Amino acid sequence: MGLKAYVADIWDAVVTTAKGMRITASYGVNPKEEVTQQYPEERREPSERFRGFLHNDIKACTACTMCIKVCPVDCIALESVRGADKKMVLVSYDINIARCMYCGLCVEACPTKSLKHTSGYERASVNRGELILHFVEEDGNEIKARVARQVAAAAAKAAEAAKAAEAAKAEAEKSAGVPSSGTKAASPTPAGSPAPGNPGAVKAADVPKPAGAAATKEPETKG
Amino acid sequence: METLAISLVKAVPVLSAVPLWTMTLFVMVAVAVVVLAFALTFEGVGSYMLRKVAGDIQARIGPNRVGPYGILQFLADGVKLILKEDIIPAKADRFLFKLAPYFVFVGSFAAFVVVPFGVGLIASDLNIGVYYVMAITSLVVIGVMLAGWASNNKWALLGGMRAAAQIVSYEVPVGMALMPAVLIAGSLSLQDIVRSQSGLFGVFGWNLFHNPFTFFSFLLYFTAAQAETNQTPFDLPEAESELVSGYNVEYSGIRFAMFFMAEFGDMFVVAALATACFLGGWNIPYFNAATLPPLWGNLLSLCVFLGKALAMVLLMMWVRWTLPRLRVDQLMRMAWKYLIPLTFFNLLGVSLWLLLFNGRGIPQMIAAVIGR
Amino acid sequence: MSAVDAKAQARTEALPTTEMTINMGPQHPSTHGVLRVELRTDGEVVSNARPDVGYLHRGLEKIGERLTYAQFMPFTDRLDYLAGMNCNCAYAWAVEKLANIEVPERAEYIRVIVCELNRISSHLISFGSFTADMGAFTPFLYSIRERERVNDLFEDICGNRLTYNYARIGGVSGDLPPDFIEKTKEFLDYFEPKIDEYNELISYNKIFVNRLANIAVVSAAEAVAYGLTGPNLRGSGVAFDLRRDEPYSVYPKLDFKVCVGTGERGKLGDCFDRYMVRINEMRESIKIVRQAIAQIPEGPVLAKVPRLFKPAAAEVYVRTECPRGETGFYLVSDGTVNPYRLKIRTGSFVSMNIFEPITKGLMIADIVAVIGSLDIILPEIDR
Repeated sequence: MGLKAYVADIWDAVVTTAKGMRITASYGVNPKEEVTQQYPEERREPSERFRGFLHNDIKACTACTMCIKVCPVDCIALESVRGADKKMVLVSYDINIARCMYCGLCVEACPTKSLKHTSGYERASVNRGELILHFVEEDGNEIKARVARQVAAAAAKAAEAAKAAEAAKAEAEKSAGVPSSGTKAASPTPAGSPAPGNPGAVKAADVPKPAGAAATKEPETKG
Repeated sequence: METLAISLVKAVPVLSAVPLWTMTLFVMVAVAVVVLAFALTFEGVGSYMLRKVAGDIQARIGPNRVGPYGILQFLADGVKLILKEDIIPAKADRFLFKLAPYFVFVGSFAAFVVVPFGVGLIASDLNIGVYYVMAITSLVVIGVMLAGWASNNKWALLGGMRAAAQIVSYEVPVGMALMPAVLIAGSLSLQDIVRSQSGLFGVFGWNLFHNPFTFFSFLLYFTAAQAETNQTPFDLPEAESELVSGYNVEYSGIRFAMFFMAEFGDMFVVAALATACFLGGWNIPYFNAATLPPLWGNLLSLCVFLGKALAMVLLMMWVRWTLPRLRVDQLMRMAWKYLIPLTFFNLLGVSLWLLLFNGRGIPQMIAAVIGR
Repeated sequence: MSAVDAKAQARTEALPTTEMTINMGPQHPSTHGVLRVELRTDGEVVSNARPDVGYLHRGLEKIGERLTYAQFMPFTDRLDYLAGMNCNCAYAWAVEKLANIEVPERAEYIRVIVCELNRISSHLISFGSFTADMGAFTPFLYSIRERERVNDLFEDICGNRLTYNYARIGGVSGDLPPDFIEKTKEFLDYFEPKIDEYNELISYNKIFVNRLANIAVVSAAEAVAYGLTGPNLRGSGVAFDLRRDEPYSVYPKLDFKVCVGTGERGKLGDCFDRYMVRINEMRESIKIVRQAIAQIPEGPVLAKVPRLFKPAAAEVYVRTECPRGETGFYLVSDGTVNPYRLKIRTGSFVSMNIFEPITKGLMIADIVAVIGSLDIILPEIDR
């Protein structure tokens, strides 16, 4: 290595080092260059579209299970029963936020927009059970019992109304001279509806289950 | 030490019952404790400074939670390290493993003995000052090699070997770069070297301005010192991203704390040497420190010395956070092919200068011309 | 061999040493993930460095076989998590080709904008972590600071800062927020001079150049033979960029240069060239984003695609230029809602091929340089 290259080497090292030191010094002496945010005192506001923890407004939820069908990691579980007005009633709606990957596909799929992302992201816990969010606050069995009662009451009402209608029809036919349809006296009861006054006989097996509810029941994680 | 003991006995007459050797021993221990306390304090302050400077340069805040502005961070770190479990790897050489941190710490701390903190403020003004520092800091090499070997870890071994090669190689330029200061002062004693830079308003007498060769020598010394203390760009032995902390990878708790503290201690020692030999040591600008009233002279010179030394430490940290790391063969090449020839050439230059100009430097010659 | 080398050789033969086998294990600060490299070294000089991958294998391709096409989109985020938008869009383009779905033009422009912004942020991380591996800790923090701004833009668009899940089959999930274009212009104006600052601080620093120049030289023929793509290929002087040579989306309408290594500080194809290609690509990406912002038309951003669409039984391989090379999706459809086979070809996996040959005779410190210059990322390798 010739003398010229030797000296050039040294000079190059000194110059590039000095240039670098100038830049670091400019950061060092400039107090505005601190970009640290003192969390948790200074929190950054998440953006409007931030995909935080999910929240389901159960009053608006129709238990259509689109969210479950779309979720890639099966983190949502719901159970519902068909109510007296033929609409589904939510018994339980659980989201496992430890499994959720905050992709937002369920929010996009929800037809009533009851499922939304919140801006929450701070929910560290020492217990995995705490990470399963239950959105239906009432006890599931109570809901089922209540709905069963409503269904039974509705069925009874329907049966009575049908009987009354049948009686009225028989009256009308009698007065019109049509032979009484006595063989058809036993009003056709809807399949599966028990005699009125026996609400306890309604069992889950009797109530038509919505597709997917049993299959997607999330096993409760222990502990 | 003896004179201190005698003056202590004179001041407190009741102690004259104690034999002199006990008093001397007592004084020695007291001084050692003071110096150790200073060294440890500096190591804490140094680590805080390092992290704050790093934060400033890297566009962030350093520690700021423990104590106001985070100044108690080093205490928290110290307590944490003390409370950690003492892990010794299963197949490690237990005796050497435990011994290594002590070598490193002693090698670094023992050099504090000859650091000239101020007028008359020196633990022991050895007449072989500079030579003693060079010799005693070599203990660090043994400690590092022991740590690398005894850890029973290939990465630690690599780090230890690299460290040994590096420290040994860079001792030559460090020594040779300090020689000009010794030549100008005519003595190896650090107090003498500092005294030789007095006069001329306490600023122009610095060896830095003495002649161009000493200026160059200062830069070479600074580079070599950066290598001696394992700072980036020469921090291969503890290259975080390659060797996962090199020779101290298996150390935890207080043993690791000793390595850590020794590094800062070393940094201060080389900065102190740079101040003493090139930047005028404790010479106060404008005043003549030796002629000031006793307590004022001591205090002011101490402050001046510490200020200069800390400025040097700051400079070392600034360079550390700017530059990337040299590879080991490039590092050795730099020492043997660049620094050593340059320091020898420098030494020759200074000797010729002193011969030609009768020991006077440029500021002295200008002063003679102006007539001061 | 010169006289000095011959003497050194003779001395080495007289004092035989044994080789050391060191594990640069899955846990290591510089391996960019859980990569294990088995080193056989003679002191500092490596005689063989065998990479061992698979520590991050999650069976993504198998997962893809039981999900519908639309459901697999979030998983593509986790392929190359530093370039999530690129992987999202790559998958979307592949499925759209398979199912013959046409994407509205505005969506294509948006995809290009976010892909190029993501290229910038990915190269920033590559630059930052590479210099951190080399020992300069400061540029890493500067690059992270820049990247946070890009993440802020992405959070405004899609709501997430890393796993974007923004592209959909047929477009993108949501239109740009009203102030996005302004904020992007602000970011680009802020960022462009920073590249020069980084070059001054670290790229041309003598120590950095000495660490990278002439290390692990990959010739053009070798690069092509080993299947390297992306900046690794261009660093060896081969001017091949999928955006220009096999254009897709709206790239034909955009004007940009293909950055190629020039051997400016050492031999052509060394680590420094690969590094500089990435720095220069950031500049080109800025240009592309500016043009796309200027040209973007109005319109819908998502085509009408049924949730459970069944593409005809066919197979398709679509490749796109991602920051780490060519990311290709090979999709085989059997007419059902789930793909029959979903194979992902990633640039990093193929780059590992060349790792063993080029690291022979290097030092351990250079191994770190090689890993950084190849810019691998483990989730992409292991899938």
